Amino acid sequence: MNSKRTKVLCVMLWLICLSATAFGVCNQAQSSQAERDLWNEHGCWQDFFLWQYLAYGVRSGDWSNRGYFDACNVNLEYPKHWNASYLLTYKLNDNLAQSWHGTIDYRATAEAASSNFHNSIYHQATDDTSIYGAFNPPDQVQTSCLLYDNNKPSANNNPASRAGDYMHEGWHAWFRRYGYNGGGGSCGHFTGPQGACTMDPCGCDYFYFHGVGAYAFGAMWENNGTASRFHSPNQVQVEFLCDIADQSSAPASVKTAARADANARANGRFINGPGYRCGDPRPW
Amino acid sequence: MSQLLRPTRSRWLLLLTLFALAALLVGSACYRQQPAVSNRTAPTEAPTPGAREPAGPSPSRLLANRPRHNAPALNGAGDEARRSVSAFIDWAGQSIDEEHDDARKALEGVRDNQEIVKAFTEEITRAQKTDHSRALLALSLLGEIRSPAGQEFLHQFVNQPFPREGTRTQEGEIIEQTALATLQAKAIDGLAYMHNERADAEVLRQVQEHPSIIVRAEAIQAYLWNQQDKEAARRTLSKYIRKGEERYLDQLTREQGEQADSFNRKLEAYLKAHPEVIPPAPEKGREEAKQDDSPRPPAPPAF
Repeated sequence: MNSKRTKVLCVMLWLICLSATAFGVCNQAQSSQAERDLWNEHGCWQDFFLWQYLAYGVRSGDWSNRGYFDACNVNLEYPKHWNASYLLTYKLNDNLAQSWHGTIDYRATAEAASSNFHNSIYHQATDDTSIYGAFNPPDQVQTSCLLYDNNKPSANNNPASRAGDYMHEGWHAWFRRYGYNGGGGSCGHFTGPQGACTMDPCGCDYFYFHGVGAYAFGAMWENNGTASRFHSPNQVQVEFLCDIADQSSAPASVKTAARADANARANGRFINGPGYRCGDPRPW
Repeated sequence: MSQLLRPTRSRWLLLLTLFALAALLVGSACYRQQPAVSNRTAPTEAPTPGAREPAGPSPSRLLANRPRHNAPALNGAGDEARRSVSAFIDWAGQSIDEEHDDARKALEGVRDNQEIVKAFTEEITRAQKTDHSRALLALSLLGEIRSPAGQEFLHQFVNQPFPREGTRTQEGEIIEQTALATLQAKAIDGLAYMHNERADAEVLRQVQEHPSIIVRAEAIQAYLWNQQDKEAARRTLSKYIRKGEERYLDQLTREQGEQADSFNRKLEAYLKAHPEVIPPAPEKGREEAKQDDSPRPPAPPAF
């Protein structure tokens, strides 16, 4: 009897765990102003998300309870995911005399297809709020509720920061492709705090300074094995955010959020920091 | 019948099991609804994403039809002032570069309007709890007004207690700290832009005392940018900058619209002055074999 009861109890617990997984989604009740301001530009462009899910390796099984079948509801994760893709696909100015890199670079970093930037990847959302995002080898890019939820005290629940994370995690895939581990830390970066990096215990990178125009558009993947031609994940993220802030036609709320995120990262995540600052400090 | 209804412990367990199973099935069914509007067939057999709404026009058509240069008026008192400020922040968030000066002119015009300034501060206080991007935006706008009443609020804002604990990521970032620091950095921009004795003193104090490097670094840059005499400003800042943070005084800034030649000259000078920032060569391991097997989708739809 006891063993029968134990079995029933185990089955019950297993089912409860299973249902928790099915219901475990990010907050789906609201979205930030930056999210809506960008969204209102396209008003839910269906041709785009019908392209995006293929380009990003978005799978219905991973996103079905996150708006995959309700892709015009801006409060849900999948619509927010493709909203960020819209930002990086169409809004950059691609000015060779002023931008760090071009749309071609940022798209290749974020999108699923195998290229010089990385082997093939796919995108998934996660409820794990101990991370903003993760690259889980060999091919999984995860973005967490911290990048989607508007009911958490996160500064990063906006399309610019979310797309910035696509860069960061995509660049970990670049590291794997070219045989770099990113430092001695367990998180794919150097341990910290170290130098000007305040992350503790992990999350520090070097900034590999380069000039404007040093990389032709499409050449961000290149490296020469030395510090003179190389990028770290946080650096690619900062440069992307900076290009959104200063070199894009995004709405003002998105650009403001991008600049704040870029400068926060530039100031606290680099051992040899600070990295580049973007924009002047005039309030508006 | 009576046997069936007798609430033995094993029966309760069975009932709970059935309940959990039912919850799982109902929940999954709710979340996995198929789209009301069918979409074009994807080249794979997997279901395509769908929407309940019918497809609309392309963004280029929507953007072409959007009226420009129509900032809502900032006026009124009490509730009317609150409504006009709320509408202004809505508009400012969606505005694009060519409308930037429209906002600046409108904000300059309300410098002495206490009601409007108060409405901005109330909106910031509310948004700080509900929408970080709106709070950041509203702080930018308030700072741009350069009003004495706004300055008072900015002083209080940068002195909000900084959280010591919170949601810690695996990398050690406390997200409540980052959220507040990015807002306080924006408030610092507003104070430095006031450029009066009391505001400057607060900015310099934060260069030294603020617990977050995000705010300290912003205070350094904002103070420097707002002073006419840069050399004197650097000397003043040197007295406040923490030991080990001197490099932030020379932080490379790419200004909006700056051409490559100008930035690259600054970079060259920076690397000459700070050779210690040149990183070591990255450590290389084994390369992964290059794949070419992932499906390549067509080009994204034309804008």
